[in-house]
Order: sequence, then C-alpha cells, then structure tokens
Amino acid sequence: MRASLNRVLGWRASIVFAALALLPFMPGMTRYYLLLAFDALLFGAVAMSLDLLMGYTGLVSFGHAAFFGLGAYATAILLERGVLSLWLCLGFALVVVGVYATLVAYFATTRRGIYFALLTLVFAEVVFTFFRYTQTFGGSDGIQGLPAPVLWPGMPLDTPLRNYYLVVAYLGSAWMLCRVLVGSHFGKVLVAIRENEDRARFLGYNVQRYKMAVCVISALLTGLGGAIYPGRAAYATPDLMLWTVSGEFIIMVMIGGLGTLVGPVIGGAFFILLQEKVSSYVDWYFMVIGGVLVLIVLFMPRGLFGFRHALRARPWRAPA
Amino acid sequence: MDYVVGVLLPQLLHGLVFGAALGLVALGLTVIFGLLGVMNFAHGELYMLGAYAGIVVIGVTQSFWVALVVAPLLVGAVGALTEVVTLRPLYRREPLYGLILTFGLALVFREGVRQVWGGDMRRILPPVTGSTPLLGMTYPNYRLFLLAASSVLLFGIWLFFTKTRAGILVRAAVQDAEMLDGLGVNVPRVFTLTFAGSAALAALAGLLLAPIFTIYPQMGVELILLAFIVVILGGMGSMGGSVVAAFVIGVTQSLLTLWMNPQRVAIAIFGIMILVLIVRPRGFFGREGVLE
Repeated sequence: MRASLNRVLGWRASIVFAALALLPFMPGMTRYYLLLAFDALLFGAVAMSLDLLMGYTGLVSFGHAAFFGLGAYATAILLERGVLSLWLCLGFALVVVGVYATLVAYFATTRRGIYFALLTLVFAEVVFTFFRYTQTFGGSDGIQGLPAPVLWPGMPLDTPLRNYYLVVAYLGSAWMLCRVLVGSHFGKVLVAIRENEDRARFLGYNVQRYKMAVCVISALLTGLGGAIYPGRAAYATPDLMLWTVSGEFIIMVMIGGLGTLVGPVIGGAFFILLQEKVSSYVDWYFMVIGGVLVLIVLFMPRGLFGFRHALRARPWRAPA
Repeated sequence: MDYVVGVLLPQLLHGLVFGAALGLVALGLTVIFGLLGVMNFAHGELYMLGAYAGIVVIGVTQSFWVALVVAPLLVGAVGALTEVVTLRPLYRREPLYGLILTFGLALVFREGVRQVWGGDMRRILPPVTGSTPLLGMTYPNYRLFLLAASSVLLFGIWLFFTKTRAGILVRAAVQDAEMLDGLGVNVPRVFTLTFAGSAALAALAGLLLAPIFTIYPQMGVELILLAFIVVILGGMGSMGGSVVAAFVIGVTQSLLTLWMNPQRVAIAIFGIMILVLIVRPRGFFGREGVLE
C-alpha cells in the first residue's frame, strides 16, 4: 500500500504535502495568510487541471472560468437553499459542470488551435451572460452571504484552517489523478495528439473521443475547485466567469510551465501572491501581470518550471 | 408602413452604420490572422486607444477632423512598435504563443489607459449635428457621415489590396510568406507595416464610433468578442468574408434588439456563431481545410 501510494504521489510531492500540512503551525500564519494560502493552492490546482488540456493535449481553452464559476454557483445554490453537506454540493457541482463540459467538449473538440480557443470562449460567454444578466441567480450581484458547508454533522468548514485543509486535500487528489492520467497510456495518447493529431488518428486512435475525455476531466477538476470556493468566500458572482479570468488561468499555466503539472501549481500560487502583494502597493497590478506574461512568452516560453516539455519551435511557414 | 419607416428602417440603418465600423475592426483582425496566424487579443485595445488618442488630439487642436487623421497615425505607430518589439521574436513559434502574448499586451494597454485617463466614461461630441430627412424619416447626419466614411474606406482598402503593389505584396505574404521571402521581399517589414495599418484601422473605427458610444478603458473588451465572431463567421483570413459578416452581424444585432433585450441578443449572436461553426466550420468565405 505504501509503495503504491508512493508511486502515485511521488516522494518529492509527499514532502511538499507534508510541509503544506504543517504550514498552518508556522509562526506568523495569521488568518490573512491562511486565506492567501487557500487561494494560492486553489488556483494552483485549477491551473494544473488546465495544464492537462493546454500542456499535454495542446488545446488552449479560453473558457475555463465558466467551469470554475458553474462549480461555484452549484455550491452556492445548494447552500442558499439550506443544503449544507459539502459532499452533496460537490456532487451537484460535478453533475452540472459535467453536463455543460460534455456539451462544450462535443462541439469544441471537433476543431483545433484557435477555433478551439474561440469556441470555448464563446460557450463560456453564453454562460456568463446568462448568470450576469438574468435575475434567476442574483444577476450581477451573484449569490451573497452564504453559510459554511458542513463536512459531516457537527463539522462545519467555518474557519480558515479547516478550509485550508480542504484545499490541500483537493490539491492532493487532483495532483494524484493528474499524475496517474499523464503516466498512463491515455496520457501518452494525449501527447501524441499534441505532437501530431493526424498521425495519432492514422494509428487508429479515436482522437476526438480522447480530446473530449480530457476536456471533461479538466473541466470537472476545475469545477470542483470552483465548488469549494464559496466555502471560503461566502459568495458566487458572475465575475468569476469573465473571459478575462480564463485568461488569468492561462497566464498561471504559462508562468509555471506548460506540460509539467507541477509548474502550473507553482504558477497559480505565484500569480495569486504577485497579485496580492502588488495590488497592496499599487492599483495597476494588471499592468504588472500583463507585462510579466509578455516577458515570459518572449524570454521564458517554458515557464518557471517547464524545462522538459514545451510546445516545440516549428519552422517558419505561412500559417493559413 | 408606418412601422417599416418609423421603426424598421432606422434600426436597419443603425445596423449598417455599426456593421461598417465593425468591418474596419474585423478587417484588420483577419489580415493579421492571415499573416501571422495570431488572433490578436489586443485589437480591441487598439480600437480603444484610437478613441483616447482622439480625445487628446481634439484637446490640443479642437478639431475632430484633425483627430480623425492624427489619432490613427499615432495608434499605427504604437502598433508598429508593438509588432517589432513583441511579435517579431515569435514568428517561428507556435501561433498560440502569439495569442497568449497579445492577451498580456491587452492587459497592459487597458490598465495603462486607466492609469493615464482614469476609468470614467467619456464622450466626444459629434462634429456634425442635425439630421436629414430620408425616405420619409429623419436620420442623424453624423451617422450618415459614419456610414459613408466607413464605406469609402472599405472600398479604398479593397482597391489597395487589388490594385496596388503594396496590397498585392500583403496578400502574397498571407498566402506564402516563405516564398515571398525567397523572392527577395523584406517580409518582416511587410508584417510590421500591415500590423501598423490594422492598428490604425481599429483606431479609426474607435474614433468614428466614439460620438455614438461612450469611451472607457473596457470598451475594447466589449467589442473584441463581437469582432472575433465576425472573423470566424466570415471565414478566418478571408477579408471579403469579414466585411460581409460584419454587416450581417451589425444588422442582425440591430434588428434583434427590436424584439429582445440586449442580453438575449448577445446570446442569440453567440448561438448563430455556434450554429454556423457546426454547419459550415469554414465560415461564409473561408478556404476549405484552413484550421477546420
């Protein structure tokens, strides 16, 4: 058992997770830093889910904010109606995000490259417009003032510490799932699709089915991240689904390094910390973040961590 | 009959006016896509910069007409600089890097403008006032001017691409940049000038629409999605297709607002795009097999 767990988790990751588990006991870990750590790890895990799509399959999704937001709304809707069980919230989020993601994936995966990016963007924009402009779920204010979800009777997730451990558990499960996927035959086929989709097809793989599967998996992981967000923030607003948020997810993956899994986690955490720190000094942090993104694309296309795999440089050809 | 003249006709004209300006934006977008393979996420910000450059020039010279010439030139220079510094190193890389890079540029431009001019809504007064009786109704002069100016411009661009050597070089670069390079043409310069031109067009559209709409740092974000839809509908890389699709979207949007609230219209437009992509992925005039 220990041996197999070690294989799935990896020994370096085990050390990191042990450190993360001990982090709240560090001196100086105030409520503020716990919440910051929550955000950093949450968005790190979301970026990692997106990396399955971007880094391994070569599909850039500009619609991940919709998966995240739908997950958040799923939880928020249940909490608002008095269903406090975290497990029910997560299950509901999985169903909602799963149905929507299957629909998006079915249409989007028939296209590649920029069409895929734009199709996911447009689908996400439909969802955003619905939540933002109809009053069914609170319109532009979203759903506010939510109670804390309950892990089991008598165990509400109402302190930053409990929420922190929840997000560590989420990151851990997502990490193990991604690692197993990437190491499996399925993961190898994804990389084959990224490198040469036509060749993968000629080898007899049903490419679209693989792309759909990885889209849905990535969306579900992102949706789960969204589903635990209202527990920390006590709200779900349509701004979580803005297409620029999808862009921020992409920035996180790029900062960390495409196709490395670890990289995007670091990238997501780095992005959140940078945003928090920079925005506490100046109010033009988006300029800093945009500038960082530009510099990374120009000078460090493999990101902070991506030294092994990356989209390869191709000889110059007319793109159209 | 009263309904046609009083409601339908003005709305149709509104659609044409907006479609013509949208065409200017989409045209630049599609040419850049054809050349560099990059869907320029910063294009909406160039459109926004056009309006702000207009405010500055009008502030200095008190003349909308001077601004109409100077502002696009300024933004074109910004575009050329951007292309040389940031996009040129990416020529040999995967186009997706360009997409991500322009997203970062968009953030920088948008936030930069907010820092310099603040986030408030601003207006430019129309330089032409009054309205003209037309087909039994009256229609604002400025909108008529906008429609005429955009149409003349679009026609001029068509002439440029078909009759002049420079225009033919650009089209050749879209088709096969490597061959053009082999023929001894300075291809990077073609790219830079084209990018500058498309930036100037977007800026011009921004300034032309400014007296009708309001000016604020987010205005590009609102427009760029629509411009993307236009480019996809018209067929990626097809210039004529973009212009036709811009008019189609402009008129459709304008007519739909008669019967639906604006949010439903937005969803309907997205729906149209998704339908077209499923039924005819290459768009109205896209070449077969391109990125399908």
